[in-house]
Amino acid sequence: MAMKELDLEEQEKLDALKAWWKDNARLVALAVLAAAITVAGVNGWRWYQARQASEAGRLYDALTKAARGGDAKALRDAGGALAEQYPRTLYASMGALASAHFHFERGELQSAKAQLQWVLDRAASPDLRDLARLRLAAVLLDENAPQDALKLLEEKPQDAYAAQYDALRGDLLVALKRTEDARAAYRQALDKADAPGGEGSAFRDSVQMRLDALGG
Amino acid sequence: MFELVHKRKRLAQVVLVLLVIPFAFFGLESYTRWGGGKDDVATVNGAGITQREFAEELRRQQDRLRAAFGPNVDPEALDTPDTRRALVESLVAQRLLADAARRAGLTVSDDALRQTIAAVPAFQAEGGFSRSNYEALLRAQGMTPQMFEERLRQDLMLQQLGEAVGGTALVSRAVSERLAALSGERREVREALVAAQPFAAQAKIGESQVKAYFDAHPEEFRLPERLRAEYVTLSAEALREREPVAEEAIRAAYDSRASQFAVAEQRRASHILVKTREEADRLAAEARKNLARFAELAKKHSQDPGSAAKGGDLGYFGKGMMVPPFEEAAFRQKEGEIGEPVQSDFGWHVIRVTGVQAAKVRPYAEVRAQLADELARQQAARRFAESAEAFSNIVYEQSDSLKPAAERFKLPLRTSGWLTRIATPEAGVLGHPKLLAALFSEDALKARRNTDAVEVSPSVLVAARVVEHVPQAQRKYEEVRAEIEARLRADEATGLAQRAGEAKLQALRKGEDAGLNWSAPKAVSRRSPQGIPAGALRPLLAAEAARLPVFAGAARGTEGYVLYRVDKVLEPEPRPEAQRSAERARAAQLAGARQMDAYIASLRASADVEIHAANFEKRP
Repeated sequence: MAMKELDLEEQEKLDALKAWWKDNARLVALAVLAAAITVAGVNGWRWYQARQASEAGRLYDALTKAARGGDAKALRDAGGALAEQYPRTLYASMGALASAHFHFERGELQSAKAQLQWVLDRAASPDLRDLARLRLAAVLLDENAPQDALKLLEEKPQDAYAAQYDALRGDLLVALKRTEDARAAYRQALDKADAPGGEGSAFRDSVQMRLDALGG
Repeated sequence: MFELVHKRKRLAQVVLVLLVIPFAFFGLESYTRWGGGKDDVATVNGAGITQREFAEELRRQQDRLRAAFGPNVDPEALDTPDTRRALVESLVAQRLLADAARRAGLTVSDDALRQTIAAVPAFQAEGGFSRSNYEALLRAQGMTPQMFEERLRQDLMLQQLGEAVGGTALVSRAVSERLAALSGERREVREALVAAQPFAAQAKIGESQVKAYFDAHPEEFRLPERLRAEYVTLSAEALREREPVAEEAIRAAYDSRASQFAVAEQRRASHILVKTREEADRLAAEARKNLARFAELAKKHSQDPGSAAKGGDLGYFGKGMMVPPFEEAAFRQKEGEIGEPVQSDFGWHVIRVTGVQAAKVRPYAEVRAQLADELARQQAARRFAESAEAFSNIVYEQSDSLKPAAERFKLPLRTSGWLTRIATPEAGVLGHPKLLAALFSEDALKARRNTDAVEVSPSVLVAARVVEHVPQAQRKYEEVRAEIEARLRADEATGLAQRAGEAKLQALRKGEDAGLNWSAPKAVSRRSPQGIPAGALRPLLAAEAARLPVFAGAARGTEGYVLYRVDKVLEPEPRPEAQRSAERARAAQLAGARQMDAYIASLRASADVEIHAANFEKRP
């Protein structure tokens, strides 16, 4: 009898479940469909991203190879294609940094600047933007435009890059003959380099030397 | 559960569906990848760095140390909490970079991977990449090609990102020129020493001072614990000298391994390579008519450019070096004859065999020495293996003397000099960390038992026992009184010299004559500071021509106090263009390394990194 009661109770629950299913079947089906579409979409997007990245990777390989071989034309071709077709990929920014380095080494400052400016405007990675800004300021110093460079460095970088920004500001101020400000900038660089996880000793020594040369 | 479903049916159902979806689309790993194990040494963005990865990296580091400092270095001694921490930090940095690379979708193409592998010298055999070398080497490291390729792909990806960040740094020319100029600035510096020695007589050291120093620094007057040990060495090397290999055994080995000493047949051939059967037949017929013309025909008609120029000659070759149809014909034909043309993937070959070196066997006399050496080594290794266990057992079972082991294996019983707990070069085989620890153990010191037989290097077993032991001792006051007094006197004298030196520096700066003996001048720059400490160097190099002389001073250990003067600003050293560009490259390299460090620091600042120090502590 106890058995029967249990059966009854079970039956009741089963009925309730069936009724619930009847009421909600559409809803569940819709939910599953929506989930499936989402997943398919995400997977599709990932696939698309991966494909973009691997195409961009090929162009990047070609670009670095051209840079090693000193082939300016091939470098421009690969760099142009990267920037045009895959501007949002990290490869495009990496390629622009490599191109800037290539041009800078050859004294082609205009081209180097254009590449760095592109990273500054278009790169998705804030780290690469911070690095591009630092390098762009270095090129401006060589173009005898330390004032513009200083202005550029007013934008605060992420903490990790701050010591290097300060050191370069010191260099720019030296070029502007603002000795007192330069000293302050170098001291800031040293303070930041001293912070835990700060810069290596080669950097410290180099900044210290520049500071000493200004009479401490 | 069922009750809950009953009451909140809809909610429960939806939850169930949501739980199932990831299984359906992503498989089980979606649940297992995250969270990491509780033994992990660190967690980076939710994924663990396992003990195993850490252990592997530690092993690699120790291999590097051994490669750099020789096999006698004890990597355990260089394995400190700090080095372990640094190792974990470097693993974290690698993981951060790998995550960044993966997030950005960086890839390494199969082509790039193949090229890298093919370029590794260790994987190459004659003339190129060797698949069998590759696999054998990986097997020796306990890796499958898949594992290796996966790891290499990861390394290349990190390298790619590292190159892009650290390899592209720009250093303004103005800055690098200024840095180079600063480190090349030169001053003419002379120095004068205010020696401490003469002040020693003035120093007043009282008995109470000496006693106070003795009482305050007992650790300085301790003689370390030391012992002398006798020891027995069982080595394959020693066993080998004892037992020459019998001539019959060498002979037998030669006979049974004849194939190893055989040199297979080699043939020399010339060929003419053409595209069609008809042409080949025609050339073959023509050549048969006048054998002497073969070379001429080859030169004219052969489409194998390498051999055509040499009249078709291919030199000597053995089996397995040519394509199969060619080889078969070349080894079938008689010398001098021109056979039927054969076809290979390259086209049709007309072949003429021009030389035959029959298979031969290297004579006994030629290989005897090599065989004897090999057999002696095997025999010694066998004897060693047979003896090792008995040796270990005897020194263990008859633990109150090494004589039984020495007599049984006819080995000399040697006695060492004094040993301390810290190994010195004189300790020789007893300097092995494990053996030394055993000698200084309770069992060896108090009970005077033999140590276990320790394998101090491959196929060398050493057992030792303590014969004389002197515990750590405190030296008596009377013994060391004079020593302490001399030391205190020297300290005092150094202090007096420093004060005198500083006074003289003040006087010099006021333009007074301090009665010093100045040395000959030398050129000093930041690049070559000539031993001048940084604190004194700064004012010296800041000296300007308009305001000379400039003085500085610095203590120099127990010698006294040194005064420096600059009388002349020198022209900077000339820098040839080659040096300038090397300096620029170096500056860019330093800047790149710095920017790479900053990049990693920045990744780390925005990542979720936990270091689990307890999981990488050294355990005994």
